[in-house]
Amino acid sequence: MILETGTHLQRQPNLAHLESKAFYHIDTYPGSDRLGGSRVERFLFAFAAILQQSNYGVLLDLYARSSARCGRCAVSCQVFQASQEARDVPCYRSNLLLDVYKRYFTMGGQLRGRLFGNGFLHEGGVDEMAELFYRCTACRRCHIECPLGIDHGLIAHLGRYILSEAGIAPKGLVVSVREQLEGKTGNTSAIPLPALLDNLEFLEEELVDSSGIQAKFPVDVQGAEYIFFPAVSDYLMEADTLMGIAAVCASAGVSWTIGSQYFDGINYGLFYNDWVLERIIQKLVGEAQRLQVQKILIGECGHAARSARQYVPTFAGDQQLPVVSVLELTEALVRQGKVKLDPNAISERVTYHDPCNIARSGWLLEPPRRLVRSIAPNFVEMRPFGKENYCCGGGGGLVSLDETHEFRMQVAGKLKAEQIQASEAEIVVTPCANCKKQLRELVSYYHLPVQVVGVHDLVLRALRL
Amino acid sequence: MDLWLALAKGVFLRFVLAVTILGLLRHVALSLAALWVAIRRAPAQSLDLRQIFGETLAWLFPIRRLHRNRFGYSLASFLFHVGVLFTSLFLVNHIDILRDQFGIGWYAIPKGILDLLAVVTIIAGSSLLLFRIYASSSRQLSQLSDYGLLVLILGIFWSGFLAGRPGNPIPYAWLMLFHTLSGAALLLVIPYSKIAHCVLFPLIRLGSAVGWRLAPLAGGKVVQRLHGPEGRQI
Ligand code: HEM
Ligand code: HEM
Repeated sequence: MILETGTHLQRQPNLAHLESKAFYHIDTYPGSDRLGGSRVERFLFAFAAILQQSNYGVLLDLYARSSARCGRCAVSCQVFQASQEARDVPCYRSNLLLDVYKRYFTMGGQLRGRLFGNGFLHEGGVDEMAELFYRCTACRRCHIECPLGIDHGLIAHLGRYILSEAGIAPKGLVVSVREQLEGKTGNTSAIPLPALLDNLEFLEEELVDSSGIQAKFPVDVQGAEYIFFPAVSDYLMEADTLMGIAAVCASAGVSWTIGSQYFDGINYGLFYNDWVLERIIQKLVGEAQRLQVQKILIGECGHAARSARQYVPTFAGDQQLPVVSVLELTEALVRQGKVKLDPNAISERVTYHDPCNIARSGWLLEPPRRLVRSIAPNFVEMRPFGKENYCCGGGGGLVSLDETHEFRMQVAGKLKAEQIQASEAEIVVTPCANCKKQLRELVSYYHLPVQVVGVHDLVLRALRL
Repeated sequence: MDLWLALAKGVFLRFVLAVTILGLLRHVALSLAALWVAIRRAPAQSLDLRQIFGETLAWLFPIRRLHRNRFGYSLASFLFHVGVLFTSLFLVNHIDILRDQFGIGWYAIPKGILDLLAVVTIIAGSSLLLFRIYASSSRQLSQLSDYGLLVLILGIFWSGFLAGRPGNPIPYAWLMLFHTLSGAALLLVIPYSKIAHCVLFPLIRLGSAVGWRLAPLAGGKVVQRLHGPEGRQI
């Protein structure tokens, strides 16, 4: 890997005005034009800076030297299977970035470039990457099938990171993150604190009314065992999931709290920018420190759980705290007999959708299944499931980009819809805010007679006090 | 002609093998060093080495995985690799040359078996080539070198195979010259083409896992490098 860019870039007119034609609405941060007039220049400067500071160089070297372009990943990719477009083959997409890497950051590539005068990155190349890295749902299913072990999801992650530092990122993600990190409310759904407190009170009352359960949503309890971070949108959209969690905690006497200064588990950094990822993790850890809690508890959300579990150890410095998913907690409480569930509570035919972010690595396969199986005797698996599941089609942040709706329905989520239909289930349960949103849209788009709920929605129905 | 052949098997071969072996060793050394630096940069995260190397081993002997996906292609690729590795490393004529040139040698698989394997490899390699041309997703994925390497390897196999068949119309010396030169060409490009995967294979999966180990503070440093100490807004 050599780092010397900017010296022989191809000069191109600034085509920034074409950006709006892209697959999603682009947000450009103020000052990105200081990096260079053309997007090619910005892309290469950002790429160079990232290579210099990060761990991606070794990976690109390994991939660039050995990628065999065998095309096996095509078969495992649900986007390619639905679209049948060669540009959706994971390896094709990764090679776009690998070619730029080889051309500009390796000795051989620079030499070849000088000799033959080819291989330059064009504005069209940046456009293609900007589109293709977001046609990937970052589900990493192809990683299982690559015999060489190339992780195309990681390349998509890196590609998006470089693009975002070059000033090309989806507005739907950036606007939320801006509010979360620089806005007044400090969360992606822009919920002001008083509204949150009102909402918690409402949930407590609703819980009494609907299930007769007295449970609190404790706020700012110093020294609690757990501090709770759900996807903040759950406070607006997933009342049952949150009530289920509160009911479990109340019935088992769990010491937990919600932080008033920071209460959002969402981390879109995982989808597009490592700097953002780190800053959000630091906010979680900061709030946990403020309240002197012992552990971080993440709600029903795939990417929130994965980003915290994977990156709190990295970014928390000497303020290390264990990260636990609420699925692990509830399952353990049930196993220890601290929470009792009615084994026949759910009579409908139920299937479980694995959120890629917690399933692909094999982390949370069994705990949620054990919970669901223990209360729903009529449980069926989709095929394939577990580590090899298909993504809902809204992964990698796509579900937050309304303009990708048609793509998510007709292409990325098509196989999932077929799987759900084949399962003949009446309820699809999934512990992820993003998956739930996408699955509900799919179910309505394809007119499937199915209800989409979270794990704790069902637990709430089965809870015996 | 004899002089050419002798040269091709002598000094020239020594040079070629030196390039191949040193080139590959360089890749391994550089990759290991870079992996080490990357792991040190993000020390807090754990690496599941058992899982990583377990998967790597499982793909090294993919017998139980061939059926999972594109069975015909996978089988062809597997047979092709067995053929390339066994004939090049365990053919008595190759070992004789090594003994002659470097004084080292090892067990040779009987030539009858390798004859058969050469035929299997030619069929498998041709299938890989045809598949690449036929399947549109693979075709659009392919670069010139992907075809070139397969053609080169097939050429080596044809010439080696025919050289062992006295009845064939092409003179032995020509076949051998072609075989030796194309064999040498392959050896020369191994470190500089995707075939470097023959030594990098055990490290790629590890590299993928290390890639997810983000370096603390790196994001902020990238922003500072691009925008100076005042940084940028989101
Ligand atoms: C570069 C130096 C090489 C030399 C000097 C060399 C030499 C030879 C010789 C002397 C033969 C025997 C021909 C006969 O039967 O009389 C042979 C056969 C063969 N070689 Fe090579 N070879 C070289 C490289 C390679 C490489 C790199 C490969 C494979 C990738 C290869 C694959 C074969 C095969 C498949 C046969 C025929 C085996 C059979 O049908 O039994 N050779 N080679
Ligand atoms: C132990 C060493 C090696 C391992 C583990 C290995 C592994 C692989 C793997 C996993 C692939 C991806 C294709 C697939 O099977 O699906 C591949 C492709 C390939 N390998 Fe190897 N390989 C090795 C050595 C070699 C050698 C020595 C050569 C040639 C001299 C070679 C030539 C190729 C070629 C040409 C392809 C591309 C096939 C195509 O066009 O589809 N490999 N290898």
